[in-house]
Amino acid sequence: MFLRNYWYVAATDTDVGRKPFPRTILGEPVVFFRTEDGTPVAFEDRCAHRHLPLSMGKLVGDRLQCHYHGLQFDKTGHCVRIPGQDQIPPNAKVKTYPVVERYHWIWIWMGDPALADPDKITDFHWFDDPNWGAKASYLHVKSNWQLVVDNLLDLTHLAFVHETTIGNAARAEHAVVKVTRAPNNVVVTRWIIDQDPPPTFQKVGKFAGHVDRWQIIDYVPPAFLRLDVGATATGTGAPEGKRVGGVTMRNLNAITPETETTSHYFWGQAHDFDVKNTELTNNIFEQIQTAFFEDVAVFSAQQRNLDLNPNAPQIDINADTGVIQARRIIDRLRGEERAAMQMTAAE
Amino acid sequence: MADSGTWHRVAALDAVKEGEALPVKLGDTAIALYRLDGQVHAIDDVCTHEFALLSQGFVEDGAIECPLHAARFDIATGRCLAAPAERDLRTYPVRIDGNDVYVSAA
Repeated sequence: MFLRNYWYVAATDTDVGRKPFPRTILGEPVVFFRTEDGTPVAFEDRCAHRHLPLSMGKLVGDRLQCHYHGLQFDKTGHCVRIPGQDQIPPNAKVKTYPVVERYHWIWIWMGDPALADPDKITDFHWFDDPNWGAKASYLHVKSNWQLVVDNLLDLTHLAFVHETTIGNAARAEHAVVKVTRAPNNVVVTRWIIDQDPPPTFQKVGKFAGHVDRWQIIDYVPPAFLRLDVGATATGTGAPEGKRVGGVTMRNLNAITPETETTSHYFWGQAHDFDVKNTELTNNIFEQIQTAFFEDVAVFSAQQRNLDLNPNAPQIDINADTGVIQARRIIDRLRGEERAAMQMTAAE
Repeated sequence: MADSGTWHRVAALDAVKEGEALPVKLGDTAIALYRLDGQVHAIDDVCTHEFALLSQGFVEDGAIECPLHAARFDIATGRCLAAPAERDLRTYPVRIDGNDVYVSAA
């Protein structure tokens, strides 16, 4: 069961234009387009007449015209033209979804439209903050969305899945991991105190001596993971919350279920040094992207086994602490949505 | 007294903080130290359910919650408070000498 009353990332801003853009979200076919003034719009991608995806049609002004029999729907989803027929039945309309454009992403609300408050959109300001250089991308994943969340909450996989890519640089030898939790938040923190800076950080940070490094994974449901990774000179107070100089990167992730067994994976990498250097931004991005391709191969292989036997037993290890706390939040929120829906149905 | 017989120094007192668990070894045994209202307690660190290290879990209301399957144990008594664990944790006598924490394996 999907969590519905949340904002999800549906598309990159440049995906959506004057050509209808189809994408399945939470198991529903959705079509996106922009009106002539540039406002993004989302419809159910299914003609109210005979189910053809409206994305196969075309825009006529601000109306989306079905490819099959030419029915036209205005930006509110109401049918305003049926060729050869003057009378338009009142139920000739398609479902629309609340949509917001923010952080170079198009966000969609798949739940009760009355609850769609844009202030609830998770913060990804790093993508359009002048103090950061950033690049984002999209991956299609052939697995359930929660496998992606699991992956990002347990970085002990870096040394194995990414052994030949980012594994060595990112490995924190025997570092102590601390998991803290709140009702709708899990934070996994790892500090490496008073050590030589790894080469990647030394290159950009030009540290004179030892550094304190951190990896902080911040999870908020349903599937937003914002990683804060960086280093400052030892003794300047970073572990106590005072960051002076140094270098910081953010690895930013938003996962949107497509179906129960496939997902949309929006992610990006931001850095707070040399922020106008787009070549550097691209280099950092491509290094991480190589590693993410390795993760995507893991997800689909896991899903293939889960498809063969969804009830096969699994064991938990200590590194799963963050993963398990996040899954407990998701399970609780599912229960809350189910209860709220039953109450609505009973009214 | 503290260096004789079964007492073992396992930690510095100021390393044991309120609201946190400090994992230490008592010989080959993994135990954890906690401080509740100033008093130091020592209990087994391995969950009686499925071998998780409890010190990586969550200290709340005088109990430690297992990080994996949410079993809970009373820190002062070791008593199991919530499933899926069923057995209690062993507790160990604690003695403080200056800034040293001693635990008895007896």
